[in-house]
Amino acid sequence: VSVAEENFIFNHFTINSYFSSFFLNILVDKPNDQSSRWSSESNYPPQFLILKLERPAIVQSITFGKYEKTHVCNLKKFKVFGGMSEENMTELLSSGLKNDYNKETFTLKHKIDEQMFPCRFVKIVPLMSWGPSFNFSIWYIELHGIEDPDVVQPCLNWYSKYREQEAIRLCLKHFRQHNYTEAFESLQKKTRIALEHPMLTHLHDRLVLQGDFDACEEFIDKAVKDGLFNQYISQQEYKPRWSQIIPKCNKGTSSQEISRDDVNKTVYLFGGWDGTQDLADFWAYSVLENQWACVSRDTEKESGPSARSCHKMCIDSQRRQIYTLGRYLDSSVRNSKSLKSDFYRYDIDANTWTLLSEDTSADGGPKLVFDHQMCMDSEKHMIYTFGGRILTCNGSVEDSRTSEPQFSGLYAFQCQAGSWSLLREDSCNAGPEDIQSRIGHCMLFHTRNRCLYVFGGQRSKTYLNDFFSYDVDGDHVEIISDGTKKDSGMVPMTGFTQRATIDPELNEIHVLSGLSKDKDKREENVRNSFWIYDIARNNWSCVYKNDQAVKENPNKTLQEEEPCPRFAHQLVYDEMHKVHYLFGGNPGKSCSPKMRLDDFWSLRLCRPSKEYLLRHCRYLIRKYRFEEKAQSEPLSALKYLQNDLSLTVDHTDPDETKEFQLLPSALFKSGSDFIPLGFSDVDQTYAQRTQLFDTLVNFFPDSMTPPKGNLVDLITL
Amino acid sequence: MSTSNASFKNKCVAQVNCIFCENLLCTRGMKAVLLADTEVELFSTDIPPNRTVDFVASCYSTDSCKCKLRDIACLKCGNVVGYHVVAPCKPCLLSCNNGHFWMFNSDAVSTLNRLDATGLNLLLWGDLPELEDSENEESESPSEEECIRLL
Repeated sequence: VSVAEENFIFNHFTINSYFSSFFLNILVDKPNDQSSRWSSESNYPPQFLILKLERPAIVQSITFGKYEKTHVCNLKKFKVFGGMSEENMTELLSSGLKNDYNKETFTLKHKIDEQMFPCRFVKIVPLMSWGPSFNFSIWYIELHGIEDPDVVQPCLNWYSKYREQEAIRLCLKHFRQHNYTEAFESLQKKTRIALEHPMLTHLHDRLVLQGDFDACEEFIDKAVKDGLFNQYISQQEYKPRWSQIIPKCNKGTSSQEISRDDVNKTVYLFGGWDGTQDLADFWAYSVLENQWACVSRDTEKESGPSARSCHKMCIDSQRRQIYTLGRYLDSSVRNSKSLKSDFYRYDIDANTWTLLSEDTSADGGPKLVFDHQMCMDSEKHMIYTFGGRILTCNGSVEDSRTSEPQFSGLYAFQCQAGSWSLLREDSCNAGPEDIQSRIGHCMLFHTRNRCLYVFGGQRSKTYLNDFFSYDVDGDHVEIISDGTKKDSGMVPMTGFTQRATIDPELNEIHVLSGLSKDKDKREENVRNSFWIYDIARNNWSCVYKNDQAVKENPNKTLQEEEPCPRFAHQLVYDEMHKVHYLFGGNPGKSCSPKMRLDDFWSLRLCRPSKEYLLRHCRYLIRKYRFEEKAQSEPLSALKYLQNDLSLTVDHTDPDETKEFQLLPSALFKSGSDFIPLGFSDVDQTYAQRTQLFDTLVNFFPDSMTPPKGNLVDLITL
Repeated sequence: MSTSNASFKNKCVAQVNCIFCENLLCTRGMKAVLLADTEVELFSTDIPPNRTVDFVASCYSTDSCKCKLRDIACLKCGNVVGYHVVAPCKPCLLSCNNGHFWMFNSDAVSTLNRLDATGLNLLLWGDLPELEDSENEESESPSEEECIRLL
């Protein structure tokens, strides 16, 4: 069967099984014909479909067609593999289809480090269908990409060359590991292919051939200082370190709004709800002095805003000004008070408030809202505000039935001109530039790529899971995730009051989440978790989950204390020093529902530091040196253990201490216990030093190191 | 529930196959009409067809009556072939019915009337052993000689 597709011709199928009753035809898109599909015979693994292309090509995307109605055999989960041969394929995509009647297109991995690679075979492996007891069906497939030989041939050449080169490097590594010096040198001379970066060859020389451990330590020292371990560090997981801040002068309340001033390391706090009433006090916390200062007891008396909560603030650190917009009004108050959206600016140096507008709605801006979001663009002197629920007057008895809640759109405020513009109205359409307004969401401004990032939130009873970015200069919306696919466990769940911060330098978004959706079980479910979103890699990772069990353990040291779970807290981020500050919140105690917290914490996300890695490498080198010495000169080895080796151990760390205490057993072991697997024909010392070398090179960037695999591992029984 | 009503005993036993993939769905089918709308013909059975169909989606009710229904689909091809009455409504339960709760849509199945042991006469519902002995009945799939196509 050979049918021309949009870009590709595939003329051959291999399938693990097929259900003979159907005309095996995924080349034709007939949504109204239930038999026009491939269907597996059963849903026991492995089930797969391999498509062979007529010519090698760069396969860039795959499109799945569907049946005209939802169908239990649609693929809820599948993987796509590709390669030049059927035996040797890499994973190109892991995803799932929606159970509907629309075609879906997915991008396939087609590059390795910016180099495109060709495929001749594409394998689709269904993993789960929408009806778990039913078989898998694929109705229609299209593959798209580049077939033009002028483009594909160079990629084929590269691929061929790359494989040969890696094969030679594996051989070189094997020869060197087994001390086949002549073979090694001969191959290297003939092919001129480098096994590794010359620096690492030098390390190998010193460590494995000469056993000059002092030189190794110096080498590692220099490598760390030159930043060669930075890539390794950036790939390590963050460990959270909380520490409670006990300022000299304390203050109470929560549910207020805070902003931080990076340059002067000050955190500003205004207004809020203390459990019974709105507040209008204004405080500044100096990080350097660890002290709160009351800027104003009642801003209203100083021509500033009246008492309020659920407002939003943003700070212009450059010009040292703070803006505040929005507030929540109780329904009982809404009748009497006018629903004007006042907009204030505070000048830090002059310590004065200015009313920028009595009603932003009258100026073309948003109506009075609460639970919205606001971001400052200091560079272009603009403010962006999005979402929030519009407060409406309760009015007469006829209007007492609750009408549809209204949400505010995306607005921009030009600070210089003092003018508002509406960028996006609230829209439930699914157009590419449409966005749905909401409350309780997170919005962050990335000062480098100049995009607003919005995620989560709520519309009446619906929790929104979507995540999109808005390019402020290009006026363009980009959907990062439409929230329909349930990637459970690896994305912070909505239904939790999230607080987020952004680090444009590290290109990361940090999210601290709080409340559970389940309002009945509030106490048990108020757990905090801290997530990091890597913007470049488009993936979420959970760095911290509040462990309830920990609280009961009295043996936990002060260092390991962490804030009690809460929601409706405030979180700000000091980008320069990479520290988060957490303030207040509602602990959700059903026994005291009006209780609000007033504690203040800092959070540092720690990765192993350069100093730690340097000490660790020194420890590894000295530990091996000790073990080598223990074979021949046990007394001298013992002295070395007690002095030099001991210096590299952190004796306050229980794990390190325990490992150190077990080391002396090497003095009593015989040599034969140490032979590592796969080195039977080599001198033991050479083999062990090689192992140490392999461990040390792991800290270096992949571009410098020998290949990670071993030739012997390719052999199967 | 056994078919106590005399008129039901004289009905033919039909073998029911999925029209899309010809998978055998059931060997104890009865041609019937829908109580709520007697224009609609279908095939019903008393034993839940196991290993041949499974539920899809969730329960629903139609406009015609308040019975709680759930669709079933052929396990081989995944196409909806009928529905199961999860909970009958009172009017339907009290009216004259054959006591079957598993239905196949007539446009989703193809049927054959089965022959009795002699191979000469049609197999009737009155001839079928009681449900307790039905394990033997189900495991025998009728051979081709046993069945003739009526229509």
